[in-house]
Amino acid sequence: MWIVEYRELIRILTISDLKVKYQSSVLGFVWSLLNPLLMMLVLYLVFNNVFKNNQEHFALYILIGIVSWRFLANATSSSMMAIVGKSSLVTKIYIPRQILVLSSVLSSFISSLLEFLVLIVLLLAFGVNISLNILFFPLIHIVYFMMVYGISLALAALYVYYRDLNQIWEVLLQLGFFISPVCYSISTVPEKYIFYYMLNPVTLVMQIYRKTLLYAESPSAVSLVYILLSACVLLILGAVIFKRLERRFAEEL
Amino acid sequence: MLESLARVVGKPNGELNSHAIVVENVSKTFRIPKERKITVYEHLIGLFGRGAQSYEVFNALQDVSFSVKHGETFGVIGPNGCGKSTLLKVLAGVLYPDSGRVKMGGKIAPFLELGVGFQPELSARDNVYLYGAIMGLTRKDVDQRYDEIMDFSELKRFENMKLRNFSSGMYVRLAFATAIQTNPDIMLVDEVLSVGDESFQRKCGAKIDEIRRAGKTILLVSHSLGTVKQLCSRCLLMNHGQMVALGETEDVLAEYERMRAASG
Repeated sequence: MWIVEYRELIRILTISDLKVKYQSSVLGFVWSLLNPLLMMLVLYLVFNNVFKNNQEHFALYILIGIVSWRFLANATSSSMMAIVGKSSLVTKIYIPRQILVLSSVLSSFISSLLEFLVLIVLLLAFGVNISLNILFFPLIHIVYFMMVYGISLALAALYVYYRDLNQIWEVLLQLGFFISPVCYSISTVPEKYIFYYMLNPVTLVMQIYRKTLLYAESPSAVSLVYILLSACVLLILGAVIFKRLERRFAEEL
Repeated sequence: MLESLARVVGKPNGELNSHAIVVENVSKTFRIPKERKITVYEHLIGLFGRGAQSYEVFNALQDVSFSVKHGETFGVIGPNGCGKSTLLKVLAGVLYPDSGRVKMGGKIAPFLELGVGFQPELSARDNVYLYGAIMGLTRKDVDQRYDEIMDFSELKRFENMKLRNFSSGMYVRLAFATAIQTNPDIMLVDEVLSVGDESFQRKCGAKIDEIRRAGKTILLVSHSLGTVKQLCSRCLLMNHGQMVALGETEDVLAEYERMRAASG
Protein backbone atom coordinates (compact mmCIF):
# COMPACT_ATOMS: atom_id res chain seq x y z
CA MET A 1 0.00 0.00 0.00
CA TRP A 2 1.50 3.31 -1.08
CA ILE A 3 0.38 5.25 1.98
CA VAL A 4 2.42 3.00 4.26
CA GLU A 5 5.36 2.57 1.94
CA TYR A 6 5.79 6.27 1.29
CA ARG A 7 4.70 7.58 4.70
CA GLU A 8 8.01 9.38 5.13
CA LEU A 9 7.62 11.25 1.85
CA ILE A 10 4.02 12.18 2.70
CA ARG A 11 5.20 13.52 6.07
CA ILE A 12 8.05 15.55 4.57
CA LEU A 13 5.93 17.01 1.78
CA THR A 14 3.12 17.93 4.16
CA ILE A 15 5.47 19.70 6.55
CA SER A 16 7.30 21.58 3.80
CA ASP A 17 3.94 22.68 2.41
CA LEU A 18 2.95 24.05 5.81
CA LYS A 19 6.30 25.81 6.15
CA VAL A 20 5.86 27.53 2.81
CA LYS A 21 2.33 28.56 3.71
CA TYR A 22 3.27 30.10 7.03
CA GLN A 23 6.68 31.54 6.21
CA SER A 24 5.74 33.39 3.09
CA SER A 25 4.38 36.24 5.17
CA VAL A 26 5.79 37.50 8.44
CA LEU A 27 2.53 37.13 10.26
CA GLY A 28 1.78 33.97 8.27
CA PHE A 29 0.32 31.91 11.03
CA VAL A 30 -1.43 34.77 12.79
CA TRP A 31 -3.02 35.87 9.53
CA SER A 32 -4.37 32.44 8.83
CA LEU A 33 -6.27 32.69 12.12
CA LEU A 34 -7.13 36.34 11.84
CA ASN A 35 -8.57 35.97 8.38
CA PRO A 36 -11.60 33.86 9.39
CA LEU A 37 -12.27 36.11 12.37
CA LEU A 38 -12.31 39.27 10.27
CA MET A 39 -14.41 37.51 7.68
CA MET A 40 -16.85 36.56 10.41
CA LEU A 41 -17.07 40.17 11.52
CA VAL A 42 -17.90 41.37 8.02
CA LEU A 43 -20.51 38.71 7.39
CA TYR A 44 -21.98 39.17 10.86
CA LEU A 45 -22.43 42.88 10.34
CA VAL A 46 -23.98 42.39 6.92
CA PHE A 47 -26.21 39.44 7.61
CA ASN A 48 -27.29 40.46 11.08
CA ASN A 49 -28.26 44.00 10.19
CA VAL A 50 -29.26 43.95 6.56
CA PHE A 51 -31.13 40.67 6.67
CA LYS A 52 -33.38 39.62 9.51
CA ASN A 53 -31.98 36.92 11.69
CA ASN A 54 -33.02 35.08 14.80
CA GLN A 55 -30.30 32.44 15.01
CA GLU A 56 -28.89 31.97 18.49
CA HIS A 57 -25.14 32.82 18.82
CA PHE A 58 -25.21 34.11 15.26
CA ALA A 59 -21.59 35.36 15.22
CA LEU A 60 -20.25 31.98 16.31
CA TYR A 61 -22.70 30.29 13.97
CA ILE A 62 -21.10 32.19 11.10
CA LEU A 63 -17.59 31.50 12.36
CA ILE A 64 -18.17 27.74 12.33
CA GLY A 65 -19.51 28.10 8.79
CA ILE A 66 -16.45 30.04 7.67
CA VAL A 67 -13.90 27.80 9.32
CA SER A 68 -15.43 24.65 7.87
CA TRP A 69 -15.88 26.25 4.44
CA ARG A 70 -12.27 27.43 4.43
CA PHE A 71 -11.01 23.88 4.66
CA LEU A 72 -12.85 22.93 1.48
CA ALA A 73 -11.95 26.12 -0.38
CA ASN A 74 -8.28 26.28 0.63
CA ALA A 75 -7.58 22.58 0.27
CA THR A 76 -9.18 22.20 -3.16
CA SER A 77 -7.69 25.33 -4.68
CA SER A 78 -4.16 24.65 -3.44
CA SER A 79 -4.10 20.93 -4.14
CA MET A 80 -5.41 21.53 -7.64
CA MET A 81 -1.87 22.73 -8.37
CA ALA A 82 -0.22 19.78 -6.60
CA ILE A 83 0.62 17.78 -9.74
CA VAL A 84 1.49 20.67 -12.04
CA GLY A 85 3.47 22.45 -9.34
CA LYS A 86 5.69 19.46 -8.62
CA SER A 87 6.05 18.26 -12.18
CA SER A 88 9.62 16.98 -11.79
CA LEU A 89 8.36 14.39 -9.32
CA VAL A 90 6.02 13.17 -12.04
CA THR A 91 8.18 13.29 -15.15
CA LYS A 92 11.58 12.27 -13.83
CA ILE A 93 10.87 9.61 -11.29
CA TYR A 94 8.05 7.32 -10.35
CA ILE A 95 6.24 7.89 -7.10
CA PRO A 96 2.54 7.17 -6.62
CA ARG A 97 1.21 10.53 -7.79
CA GLN A 98 -1.64 10.59 -5.28
CA ILE A 99 1.02 11.40 -2.69
CA LEU A 100 1.35 14.92 -4.07
CA VAL A 101 -2.38 15.57 -3.71
CA LEU A 102 -2.66 13.83 -0.37
CA SER A 103 0.16 15.80 1.23
CA SER A 104 -1.31 19.06 -0.03
CA VAL A 105 -4.75 18.25 1.38
CA LEU A 106 -3.15 17.07 4.61
CA SER A 107 -1.40 20.38 5.10
CA SER A 108 -4.71 22.22 4.68
CA PHE A 109 -6.27 19.71 7.06
CA ILE A 110 -3.71 20.55 9.73
CA SER A 111 -4.29 24.28 9.21
CA SER A 112 -7.99 23.63 9.55
CA LEU A 113 -7.49 21.73 12.80
CA LEU A 114 -5.61 24.72 14.20
CA GLU A 115 -8.44 27.02 13.17
CA PHE A 116 -10.97 24.76 14.85
CA LEU A 117 -8.81 24.77 17.97
CA VAL A 118 -8.98 28.55 18.11
CA LEU A 119 -12.70 28.33 17.42
CA ILE A 120 -13.22 26.05 20.40
CA VAL A 121 -11.28 28.44 22.62
CA LEU A 122 -13.57 31.23 21.41
CA LEU A 123 -16.65 29.11 22.11
CA LEU A 124 -15.45 28.69 25.69
CA ALA A 125 -14.68 32.39 25.95
CA PHE A 126 -18.21 33.26 24.85
CA GLY A 127 -19.59 30.91 27.46
CA VAL A 128 -20.99 28.31 25.09
CA ASN A 129 -21.88 25.09 26.85
CA ILE A 130 -19.48 22.48 25.49
CA SER A 131 -20.95 19.00 25.82
CA LEU A 132 -19.61 15.53 25.21
CA ASN A 133 -20.97 15.88 21.68
CA ILE A 134 -17.66 17.54 20.89
CA LEU A 135 -16.32 13.99 20.63
CA PHE A 136 -18.11 13.74 17.28
CA PHE A 137 -15.76 16.39 15.93
CA PRO A 138 -12.76 14.18 14.98
CA LEU A 139 -15.07 11.70 13.26
CA ILE A 140 -16.87 14.37 11.25
CA HIS A 141 -13.62 16.10 10.34
CA ILE A 142 -12.19 12.86 8.98
CA VAL A 143 -15.31 12.23 6.90
CA TYR A 144 -15.09 15.80 5.62
CA PHE A 145 -11.40 15.19 4.82
CA MET A 146 -12.37 12.20 2.66
CA MET A 147 -14.81 14.37 0.68
CA VAL A 148 -12.26 17.10 0.17
CA TYR A 149 -9.53 14.64 -0.78
CA GLY A 150 -11.82 13.03 -3.36
CA ILE A 151 -12.66 16.38 -4.94
CA SER A 152 -8.99 17.41 -4.87
CA LEU A 153 -7.87 14.23 -6.64
CA ALA A 154 -10.23 14.94 -9.51
CA LEU A 155 -9.29 18.62 -9.69
CA ALA A 156 -5.53 18.05 -9.58
CA ALA A 157 -5.76 15.49 -12.39
CA LEU A 158 -8.07 17.61 -14.55
CA TYR A 159 -5.91 20.70 -14.05
CA VAL A 160 -3.02 18.94 -15.82
CA TYR A 161 -5.13 18.94 -18.99
CA TYR A 162 -7.23 22.07 -18.49
CA ARG A 163 -5.13 24.91 -17.20
CA ASP A 164 -8.01 27.36 -16.84
CA LEU A 165 -9.81 25.06 -14.43
CA ASN A 166 -8.68 27.24 -11.53
CA GLN A 167 -10.73 30.13 -12.91
CA ILE A 168 -13.79 27.94 -13.26
CA TRP A 169 -13.31 26.42 -9.83
CA GLU A 170 -13.07 29.85 -8.26
CA VAL A 171 -16.53 30.68 -9.58
CA LEU A 172 -17.90 27.32 -8.48
CA LEU A 173 -16.51 27.88 -5.00
CA GLN A 174 -18.21 31.24 -4.87
CA LEU A 175 -21.45 29.53 -5.82
CA GLY A 176 -20.87 26.83 -3.23
CA PHE A 177 -20.28 29.47 -0.58
CA PHE A 178 -23.81 30.78 -1.09
CA ILE A 179 -25.64 27.49 -1.56
CA SER A 180 -24.15 26.23 1.71
CA PRO A 181 -25.34 27.76 4.98
CA VAL A 182 -22.09 29.60 5.74
CA CYS A 183 -23.51 33.00 6.60
CA TYR A 184 -27.27 32.61 6.92
CA SER A 185 -29.68 30.43 8.82
CA ILE A 186 -31.21 27.45 7.02
CA SER A 187 -34.66 28.67 8.07
CA THR A 188 -34.33 31.44 5.46
CA VAL A 189 -34.25 28.88 2.63
CA PRO A 190 -37.66 28.72 0.90
CA GLU A 191 -39.67 25.63 1.83
CA LYS A 192 -39.97 24.35 -1.76
CA TYR A 193 -36.20 24.21 -2.25
CA ILE A 194 -35.27 22.75 1.11
CA PHE A 195 -35.19 19.13 -0.10
CA TYR A 196 -32.66 19.89 -2.84
CA TYR A 197 -30.82 22.26 -0.56
CA MET A 198 -30.20 19.52 1.99
CA LEU A 199 -28.74 17.17 -0.63
CA ASN A 200 -25.52 19.17 -0.50
CA PRO A 201 -23.27 17.12 1.82
CA VAL A 202 -21.31 20.22 2.83
CA THR A 203 -24.53 21.70 4.23
CA LEU A 204 -24.95 18.66 6.43
CA VAL A 205 -21.33 18.71 7.55
CA MET A 206 -21.68 22.34 8.59
CA GLN A 207 -24.91 21.67 10.43
CA ILE A 208 -23.34 18.80 12.33
CA TYR A 209 -20.37 20.95 13.35
CA ARG A 210 -22.82 23.54 14.67
CA LYS A 211 -25.02 21.04 16.45
CA THR A 212 -22.15 19.32 18.20
CA LEU A 213 -19.95 22.34 18.98
CA LEU A 214 -22.39 25.18 19.45
CA TYR A 215 -25.78 23.78 20.45
CA ALA A 216 -24.68 20.70 22.43
CA GLU A 217 -26.86 18.35 20.40
CA SER A 218 -26.06 14.97 18.86
CA PRO A 219 -26.19 14.65 15.08
CA SER A 220 -28.94 12.44 13.67
CA ALA A 221 -27.96 9.00 12.50
CA VAL A 222 -29.43 9.70 9.06
CA SER A 223 -27.22 12.74 8.53
CA LEU A 224 -24.15 10.81 9.68
CA VAL A 225 -24.85 7.99 7.25
CA TYR A 226 -25.54 10.47 4.46
CA ILE A 227 -22.27 12.34 4.82
CA LEU A 228 -20.33 9.11 5.16
CA LEU A 229 -21.89 7.76 1.98
CA SER A 230 -21.26 10.99 0.07
CA ALA A 231 -17.66 10.98 1.28
CA CYS A 232 -17.19 7.44 -0.03
CA VAL A 233 -18.78 8.32 -3.37
CA LEU A 234 -16.62 11.44 -3.80
CA LEU A 235 -13.49 9.58 -2.78
CA ILE A 236 -14.09 6.71 -5.20
CA LEU A 237 -15.09 9.07 -8.01
CA GLY A 238 -11.99 11.19 -7.43
CA ALA A 239 -9.73 8.15 -7.34
CA VAL A 240 -11.21 6.73 -10.56
CA ILE A 241 -10.84 10.03 -12.43
CA PHE A 242 -7.29 10.39 -11.13
CA LYS A 243 -6.35 6.85 -12.14
CA ARG A 244 -7.73 7.40 -15.63
CA LEU A 245 -5.98 10.69 -16.24
CA GLU A 246 -2.74 9.79 -14.49
CA ARG A 247 -1.44 7.80 -17.44
CA ARG A 248 -0.60 10.75 -19.61
CA PHE A 249 0.55 13.07 -16.82
CA ALA A 250 4.21 12.76 -17.77
CA GLU A 251 3.43 13.66 -21.37
CA GLU A 252 1.20 16.62 -20.61
CA LEU A 253 3.49 18.32 -18.12
CA MET B 1 -9.21 -4.76 -15.49
CA LEU B 2 -6.75 -6.20 -17.98
CA GLU B 3 -5.49 -2.76 -18.80
CA SER B 4 -4.40 -2.07 -15.30
CA LEU B 5 -2.05 -5.01 -15.53
CA ALA B 6 0.03 -3.26 -18.18
CA ARG B 7 2.72 -2.76 -15.62
CA VAL B 8 3.39 -5.29 -12.92
CA VAL B 9 5.90 -4.72 -10.18
CA GLY B 10 6.44 -7.20 -7.47
CA LYS B 11 8.21 -10.04 -5.83
CA PRO B 12 9.60 -12.70 -8.12
CA ASN B 13 6.99 -15.30 -8.95
CA GLY B 14 6.06 -17.42 -11.93
CA GLU B 15 7.62 -15.94 -15.03
CA LEU B 16 9.53 -13.47 -12.91
CA ASN B 17 11.42 -16.27 -11.17
CA SER B 18 14.18 -16.22 -13.72
CA HIS B 19 13.62 -12.80 -15.23
CA ALA B 20 13.92 -9.42 -13.56
CA ILE B 21 12.47 -7.47 -16.45
CA VAL B 22 9.98 -8.79 -18.98
CA VAL B 23 8.83 -6.48 -21.77
CA GLU B 24 6.13 -7.82 -24.08
CA ASN B 25 5.08 -6.06 -27.28
CA VAL B 26 5.30 -2.61 -25.77
CA SER B 27 4.26 0.28 -27.99
CA LYS B 28 4.10 3.91 -27.12
CA THR B 29 2.91 6.75 -29.28
CA PHE B 30 3.06 10.42 -28.47
CA ARG B 31 0.48 12.84 -29.69
CA ILE B 32 2.06 15.94 -31.05
CA PRO B 33 -0.72 18.50 -31.17
CA LYS B 34 -0.79 20.78 -34.20
CA GLU B 35 -2.13 23.39 -31.88
CA ARG B 36 -1.89 22.85 -28.19
CA LYS B 37 -5.17 22.99 -26.34
CA ILE B 38 -4.72 23.29 -22.64
CA THR B 39 -7.81 25.10 -21.49
CA VAL B 40 -11.46 24.19 -21.21
CA TYR B 41 -12.16 27.23 -23.39
CA GLU B 42 -9.95 25.94 -26.19
CA HIS B 43 -11.50 22.49 -25.99
CA LEU B 44 -14.98 23.94 -26.23
CA ILE B 45 -13.98 26.04 -29.22
CA GLY B 46 -12.35 22.94 -30.72
CA LEU B 47 -15.67 21.08 -30.60
CA PHE B 48 -17.19 23.53 -33.03
CA GLY B 49 -14.17 23.64 -35.30
CA ARG B 50 -13.18 21.24 -38.03
CA GLY B 51 -13.58 17.63 -37.06
CA ALA B 52 -10.14 16.80 -38.40
CA GLN B 53 -7.59 15.21 -36.12
CA SER B 54 -5.71 17.99 -34.43
CA TYR B 55 -2.56 16.07 -33.62
CA GLU B 56 0.12 14.04 -35.31
CA VAL B 57 1.15 10.68 -34.00
CA PHE B 58 4.77 9.91 -33.24
CA ASN B 59 5.68 6.27 -32.65
CA ALA B 60 8.30 6.34 -29.94
CA LEU B 61 8.22 2.61 -29.32
CA GLN B 62 6.88 -0.03 -31.66
CA ASP B 63 6.32 -3.58 -30.53
CA VAL B 64 9.35 -3.87 -28.30
CA SER B 65 9.85 -7.20 -26.54
CA PHE B 66 12.80 -8.48 -24.56
CA SER B 67 13.60 -9.84 -21.15
CA VAL B 68 16.46 -9.45 -18.74
CA LYS B 69 17.50 -12.20 -16.32
CA HIS B 70 18.14 -11.62 -12.66
CA GLY B 71 21.72 -10.53 -12.13
CA GLU B 72 22.25 -9.58 -15.72
CA THR B 73 23.65 -6.27 -16.90
CA PHE B 74 21.78 -5.31 -20.02
CA GLY B 75 22.57 -2.44 -22.37
CA VAL B 76 20.27 -0.41 -24.59
CA ILE B 77 21.96 1.50 -27.39
CA GLY B 78 20.97 3.45 -30.45
CA PRO B 79 21.19 6.88 -32.05
CA ASN B 80 19.49 9.95 -30.61
CA GLY B 81 15.72 9.78 -30.75
CA CYS B 82 15.64 6.01 -31.17
CA GLY B 83 13.34 5.49 -28.18
CA LYS B 84 15.92 4.49 -25.55
CA SER B 85 14.85 7.09 -23.06
CA THR B 86 11.17 6.47 -23.68
CA LEU B 87 11.76 2.80 -23.03
CA LEU B 88 13.52 3.63 -19.79
CA LYS B 89 10.68 5.87 -18.70
CA VAL B 90 8.15 3.15 -19.44
CA LEU B 91 10.20 0.71 -17.36
CA ALA B 92 10.44 3.24 -14.54
CA GLY B 93 6.67 3.71 -14.57
CA VAL B 94 6.81 7.38 -15.52
CA LEU B 95 5.20 6.73 -18.90
CA TYR B 96 2.37 4.32 -19.48
CA PRO B 97 2.62 2.00 -22.49
CA ASP B 98 -0.26 2.23 -24.99
CA SER B 99 -0.17 -1.50 -25.49
CA GLY B 100 1.89 -4.43 -24.32
CA ARG B 101 3.04 -5.33 -20.86
CA VAL B 102 5.97 -4.59 -18.62
CA LYS B 103 6.82 -6.78 -15.67
CA MET B 104 9.45 -5.89 -13.14
CA GLY B 105 10.47 -8.54 -10.65
CA GLY B 106 11.72 -6.53 -7.72
CA LYS B 107 12.40 -3.15 -6.25
CA ILE B 108 13.42 -0.60 -8.86
CA ALA B 109 15.76 2.33 -8.54
CA PRO B 110 15.42 4.60 -11.53
CA PHE B 111 18.49 6.72 -12.19
CA LEU B 112 16.87 8.73 -14.97
CA GLU B 113 18.07 11.95 -13.51
CA LEU B 114 19.89 12.44 -10.26
CA GLY B 115 18.64 14.74 -7.56
CA VAL B 116 14.98 14.89 -8.58
CA GLY B 117 13.10 16.81 -5.93
CA PHE B 118 16.17 18.35 -4.32
CA GLN B 119 15.30 21.64 -2.65
CA PRO B 120 17.96 24.35 -2.91
CA GLU B 121 16.75 26.05 0.26
CA LEU B 122 17.20 22.98 2.44
CA SER B 123 20.46 21.75 3.94
CA ALA B 124 22.32 18.80 2.48
CA ARG B 125 21.15 16.70 5.40
CA ASP B 126 17.47 17.54 4.87
CA ASN B 127 17.83 16.85 1.19
CA VAL B 128 19.24 13.41 1.87
CA TYR B 129 16.13 12.62 3.92
CA LEU B 130 13.85 14.12 1.27
CA TYR B 131 15.52 12.31 -1.61
CA GLY B 132 15.59 9.09 0.38
CA ALA B 133 11.85 9.45 0.97
CA ILE B 134 11.25 10.04 -2.74
CA MET B 135 13.13 6.83 -3.44
CA GLY B 136 10.86 5.06 -0.97
CA LEU B 137 13.11 4.86 2.10
CA THR B 138 11.75 5.33 5.60
CA ARG B 139 13.28 7.70 8.09
CA LYS B 140 14.87 4.79 9.92
CA ASP B 141 16.45 3.50 6.70
CA VAL B 142 18.05 6.84 6.06
CA ASP B 143 19.15 7.18 9.70
CA GLN B 144 21.03 3.91 9.39
CA ARG B 145 22.67 4.80 6.10
CA TYR B 146 23.28 8.45 6.66
CA ASP B 147 26.95 8.12 7.60
CA GLU B 148 27.65 5.88 4.68
CA ILE B 149 25.99 8.37 2.31
CA MET B 150 28.09 11.20 3.68
CA ASP B 151 31.28 9.12 3.51
CA PHE B 152 30.66 8.04 -0.03
CA SER B 153 29.84 11.53 -1.27
CA GLU B 154 32.74 13.01 0.74
CA LEU B 155 30.44 15.83 1.84
CA LYS B 156 30.34 15.26 5.60
CA ARG B 157 31.82 18.71 6.21
CA PHE B 158 29.03 20.39 4.26
CA GLU B 159 26.05 18.55 5.72
CA ASN B 160 24.53 21.71 7.21
CA MET B 161 25.13 23.88 4.18
CA LYS B 162 22.19 24.86 2.02
CA LEU B 163 22.10 22.99 -1.24
CA ARG B 164 21.99 26.14 -3.35
CA ASN B 165 25.60 26.80 -2.35
CA PHE B 166 26.73 23.44 -3.68
CA SER B 167 28.65 23.09 -6.91
CA SER B 168 27.03 20.92 -9.55
CA GLY B 169 29.61 18.22 -8.84
CA MET B 170 28.78 18.17 -5.13
CA TYR B 171 25.08 18.13 -5.98
CA VAL B 172 25.40 15.06 -8.14
CA ARG B 173 27.68 13.28 -5.67
CA LEU B 174 25.12 13.75 -2.93
CA ALA B 175 22.33 12.52 -5.17
CA PHE B 176 24.22 9.46 -6.36
CA ALA B 177 25.34 8.52 -2.87
CA THR B 178 21.77 8.71 -1.59
CA ALA B 179 20.16 6.95 -4.53
CA ILE B 180 22.61 4.07 -4.37
CA GLN B 181 21.55 3.38 -0.79
CA THR B 182 18.03 2.37 -1.75
CA ASN B 183 19.32 -1.16 -2.18
CA PRO B 184 17.35 -1.88 -5.35
CA ASP B 185 16.96 -5.23 -7.08
CA ILE B 186 16.85 -3.55 -10.47
CA MET B 187 18.73 -0.42 -11.44
CA LEU B 188 17.68 1.61 -14.46
CA VAL B 189 20.59 3.81 -15.44
CA ASP B 190 20.54 6.58 -18.01
CA GLU B 191 23.97 7.97 -18.77
CA VAL B 192 24.40 9.24 -15.25
CA LEU B 193 27.72 7.51 -14.87
CA SER B 194 29.36 10.43 -16.58
CA VAL B 195 29.01 12.73 -13.60
CA GLY B 196 31.40 14.45 -11.27
CA ASP B 197 35.16 14.55 -11.66
CA GLU B 198 37.21 11.61 -12.81
CA SER B 199 37.94 10.19 -9.39
CA PHE B 200 34.28 10.26 -8.44
CA GLN B 201 33.39 8.65 -11.75
CA ARG B 202 35.76 5.83 -10.93
CA LYS B 203 34.14 5.51 -7.53
CA CYS B 204 30.67 5.31 -9.10
CA GLY B 205 31.90 2.78 -11.60
CA ALA B 206 33.36 0.68 -8.77
CA LYS B 207 30.08 0.94 -6.82
CA ILE B 208 28.05 -0.14 -9.82
CA ASP B 209 30.45 -3.01 -10.36
CA GLU B 210 29.97 -3.99 -6.72
CA ILE B 211 26.20 -3.93 -7.15
CA ARG B 212 26.53 -5.98 -10.32
CA ARG B 213 28.62 -8.60 -8.58
CA ALA B 214 26.11 -8.72 -5.73
CA GLY B 215 23.73 -10.21 -8.30
CA LYS B 216 21.54 -7.18 -8.93
CA THR B 217 20.04 -6.49 -12.31
CA ILE B 218 21.17 -3.41 -14.21
CA LEU B 219 19.65 -1.93 -17.33
CA LEU B 220 21.96 0.63 -18.82
CA VAL B 221 21.09 3.15 -21.49
CA SER B 222 24.21 4.69 -22.91
CA HIS B 223 25.89 6.48 -25.75
CA SER B 224 29.27 5.31 -24.59
CA LEU B 225 29.86 2.08 -26.44
CA GLY B 226 32.99 1.52 -24.39
CA THR B 227 31.00 1.42 -21.15
CA VAL B 228 28.45 -0.90 -22.68
CA LYS B 229 31.12 -3.23 -24.00
CA GLN B 230 32.81 -3.31 -20.63
CA LEU B 231 29.72 -3.87 -18.46
CA CYS B 232 26.96 -5.51 -20.44
CA SER B 233 26.65 -9.14 -21.38
CA ARG B 234 23.68 -8.58 -23.66
CA CYS B 235 22.39 -5.57 -25.57
CA LEU B 236 19.42 -4.20 -27.43
CA LEU B 237 19.93 -1.92 -30.41
CA MET B 238 17.09 0.39 -31.28
CA ASN B 239 16.33 2.76 -34.13
CA HIS B 240 13.18 4.78 -34.84
CA GLY B 241 11.42 3.15 -31.92
CA GLN B 242 11.96 -0.33 -33.29
CA MET B 243 14.19 -3.16 -32.22
CA VAL B 244 17.06 -3.61 -34.65
CA ALA B 245 19.17 -6.20 -32.89
CA LEU B 246 19.07 -8.11 -29.64
CA GLY B 247 21.79 -10.43 -28.41
CA GLU B 248 25.39 -10.71 -27.23
CA THR B 249 26.99 -7.31 -26.80
CA GLU B 250 29.70 -7.87 -29.40
CA ASP B 251 27.28 -8.90 -32.11
CA VAL B 252 24.94 -6.01 -31.38
CA LEU B 253 27.79 -3.49 -31.35
CA ALA B 254 28.98 -4.82 -34.70
CA GLU B 255 25.45 -4.40 -36.03
CA TYR B 256 25.41 -0.84 -34.72
CA GLU B 257 28.64 -0.10 -36.58
CA ARG B 258 27.15 -1.47 -39.79
CA MET B 259 23.98 0.58 -39.27
CA ARG B 260 25.95 3.75 -38.72
CA ALA B 261 28.13 3.09 -41.74
CA ALA B 262 25.07 2.46 -43.89
CA SER B 263 23.37 5.68 -42.86
CA GLY B 264 26.60 7.60 -43.33
